[in-house]
Amino acid sequence: MNGVAVVMRKAPYGSVYTAEGFRTIVGIAVFELDISVLFVDDGVYALVRGQDPSQLSMKPLGDGFPTLTEFGVTKFFVHDQSLAERGLTLKDLVMDAEIVDSARIAQILETVGKVLPF
Amino acid sequence: MKMGILVLEGPYQHQAADSAYHFVKAAQARGHQIVGIFLYTDAVNNANRFIDPPGERNIAKRFDDLAAQGIPVVACTACAKFRGLRPDLKTEHVRLSGLGSLAQYLRDADRFVTFGD
Repeated sequence: MNGVAVVMRKAPYGSVYTAEGFRTIVGIAVFELDISVLFVDDGVYALVRGQDPSQLSMKPLGDGFPTLTEFGVTKFFVHDQSLAERGLTLKDLVMDAEIVDSARIAQILETVGKVLPF
Repeated sequence: MKMGILVLEGPYQHQAADSAYHFVKAAQARGHQIVGIFLYTDAVNNANRFIDPPGERNIAKRFDDLAAQGIPVVACTACAKFRGLRPDLKTEHVRLSGLGSLAQYLRDADRFVTFGD
């Protein structure tokens, strides 16, 4: 199956990137693509528990990611250094994900070949 | 080699649309095939046929010309709706379609390149 890595790099509400990254995963998952989702840099904030952007008239993004398993998307990777630099741990996140270092991220991107950075 | 392209930024504000165009031209000049260009999020604005910059490069015309050559150039239907880009405002050869087209280009391409912020 064709591999695709979707990389979340940005904070969830400052731009549309994370929301559209999420929408892309939902949109392409049904077309027999083997999708890995990576969270790096400010992208790790997309997974933080208890997001409430209601004062921005926006919908919370974090709760959507655990539902991606219903679309057959099960590979989630979070960059360890990005988490640590922001004072976060796996317990702060809305879902279980594999915590990986930079070398492993590089290896995943190289193995998958096609990368969609959001 | 077969290449797919994703563009995530609109015209003039950001270099992404220009870079995508120049990349496609350079790839073609080297004999590569472009399987499709997907205009997503603000990039749908690169398909507005009323873009008319006095004395400057016309970014909408560039993408329309690529589409006229036979390269599939697709603007995301939902993104167009969000931005008021009605079908009658769209350049002639760019098509409106959904993320299925992006999935198709991802499958067809040997290499896939994203131009965004």
